[in-house]
Amino acid sequence: MKDEKITYLTDVALITCVVAAGRGDAVIEAARTMGATGALVHHARGIGPRERLGLLGIAIEAEKDVVDILVASDYQDVVFEAVYRAAGLHVPGAGVAYITPVERMATYVPRDILDRVPNGEEAQ
Amino acid sequence: MTQSIRYADYLRTIGAGRREISFTAIAPPVGRDAQGRPVPPPAPGPIRLQPDEIAALLRPYVSVRFMEQVRAVVPLGLYLALFQILILRQLIDDSWLVTGGLFAVIVGLMLFMEGLKLGLMPFGELIGHSLPRKSPLPLVLFITLLLGIGVTFAEPAIGALKTAGQNVSPEQAPYLWALLNQWTMALVLVIGASVGLAAVLGTLRFLHGWSLKPLIYAALVPVLGLTLYAAQDPQLTTVLGLAWDAGAVTTGPVTVPLVLALGIGIAAAAGRGDSGLSGFGIVTLASLFPIVGVLLLTFYVAGTVTPAEIVAAAATAASETDPLAWYERSPGLEIVMGIRAIVPLVLFLFLILTLVLKERLPRPREMMLGIALTVIGMCIFNLGLTYGLSELGGSAGSLVPAAFMEIPGADGSPLYRYAVGVTIALIFAWVLGFGATVAEPALNALGVTAEQLTNGFFKKRTLILAVSVGVACGIALGITRLVFDLPLVWLIVPPYLAAALLTAVSSEEFVNVAWDSAGVTTGPITVPLVLAMGLGLGNATNAVEGFGILCLASIGPIISVLLTGLWARVKAGRQERAARAVPDVHHEQEVQSLV
Repeated sequence: MKDEKITYLTDVALITCVVAAGRGDAVIEAARTMGATGALVHHARGIGPRERLGLLGIAIEAEKDVVDILVASDYQDVVFEAVYRAAGLHVPGAGVAYITPVERMATYVPRDILDRVPNGEEAQ
Repeated sequence: MTQSIRYADYLRTIGAGRREISFTAIAPPVGRDAQGRPVPPPAPGPIRLQPDEIAALLRPYVSVRFMEQVRAVVPLGLYLALFQILILRQLIDDSWLVTGGLFAVIVGLMLFMEGLKLGLMPFGELIGHSLPRKSPLPLVLFITLLLGIGVTFAEPAIGALKTAGQNVSPEQAPYLWALLNQWTMALVLVIGASVGLAAVLGTLRFLHGWSLKPLIYAALVPVLGLTLYAAQDPQLTTVLGLAWDAGAVTTGPVTVPLVLALGIGIAAAAGRGDSGLSGFGIVTLASLFPIVGVLLLTFYVAGTVTPAEIVAAAATAASETDPLAWYERSPGLEIVMGIRAIVPLVLFLFLILTLVLKERLPRPREMMLGIALTVIGMCIFNLGLTYGLSELGGSAGSLVPAAFMEIPGADGSPLYRYAVGVTIALIFAWVLGFGATVAEPALNALGVTAEQLTNGFFKKRTLILAVSVGVACGIALGITRLVFDLPLVWLIVPPYLAAALLTAVSSEEFVNVAWDSAGVTTGPITVPLVLAMGLGLGNATNAVEGFGILCLASIGPIISVLLTGLWARVKAGRQERAARAVPDVHHEQEVQSLV
């Protein structure tokens, strides 16, 4: 390591999609075809509309899959749309998705990729 | 003008100490078609890493697994070596070879365990999950039986048993020699069939929720009966040690998880996998049944061949001085053995998967790598066994008697007065047993299960301690037997009767944990070490055979764990009685009762 500087990635967006448990895989698949490089799924329990719907609430699964996807901000709309369609969010009770701007992100960037960036220093 | 800037903002603006790249610069540009709709980008290829990056990725992965084995092997090796040098004042022969052997054991076990996790275990789980759904119960049980045989072949400790038989004298123990030299295939088959049978019974137990106690009694009656019968005949007595050790040997790192995975899968498919006890019992039965199997095989051998014939055969075998083929000599033999152990098992599993289940491997490349690692690991482990563990154990075993008697190879023996020397030897064995058991990873897993099972009432540490003390006492007892040449029957039958008695008064959970702890303790490091030590010691003290230590080492923990369980229950009962005798009512409780 010649410089111990942390390499940050900027222009990152976090797309989070909450769907019924078991449907997370479909969301990830859609996001990946649109260029997302990876995803993280956690299991969660959702509370809110289910209770307020009264008896209709039985139609909503309380167990959720939460899918987190980090994408370049150029991709956020494309991937978000894919996620939205795959999760079927236009239907009531299907879930929710949101985009969070991410200030910076850091991870190990393979040297192969770093070398490909045209003079990586300037990018800000 | 006095505009203040936060220092952090300043640093961020000038970009000190960091370097920023836009994620967009790395990602390929978003393509759009004529209507402005986004086009999926080409699928990203596999991530390419340069050699040093690959090394950085693999280093933590390998070192964790390597250190795991180092922690199990190195303290034992050091203990043995230091004991020889400091107490027995003997240098270790070929110390470089032994060190290399121990290193090979570490590397081999590491590869083997990882391969098992990647390759064979998912195989077993997959079959366990889908087989019961697609096939009728008899077929499932039949495949379980076959699998039991298969895994026994793959068990690394079985190889140790076979090599241990090479220096048994055919004159003193003809049947033992015959079993270990002429009938090895039959021996392993019988042990395997017994394990398979145990797996079948254990699975049935899962399905029907049987209590373990009657099964233990039902298994103990023939086991003890046949043992007592064999003890009547001086020729057959010599085989008892082997038969009882066979039980301890089979329940190793391949058999236990694979058979358990299958059994639990079957139970889960039947909707009865939720009982915390379902994982237990197979190990117990798998360590009792082989005893019956081996004894029956011995009776068969005794019925067909006379001792005189065996001695004659041994003489001719010894006089045949043909140079051994490459696959019968040391490095080749171990490799062939390693391949022969794993490949048939894998083929069998694969055939079941494709022919019976008509399914494909979920992650074929990963599993192939796992199986390859298993085979390579097994071969390296076998080599290490021959040059490292067996060598070290054997030399320790043959030198320990130098503490109290005259040994040709050892200068100045006896080193100590008889009583002192024997005491030293026994303490040595005790500490060895204790140390080997505490380090056993399988025991840790059992401790966790036991703690969950008894709702934290039976602590993991308590169990590990109880089992280790049990094993240590068992090994010390085994050494005593070899030194004083006591008959094995009188050391085996009374403890097992005592264990049966304790079983009757113990609760079901403790019975399960205790009987399984016996099988779990005898892992791939303990078994060859103790076997080799026993045989070396047996040779040095001119005992007929050096088997029998392992089986004493497995009855020890049964009794110690059962006793600990009873003691814990008595203590809990006393506390409860004390609590009832003095109805200490807190003022809060008083208020509550008033409300």
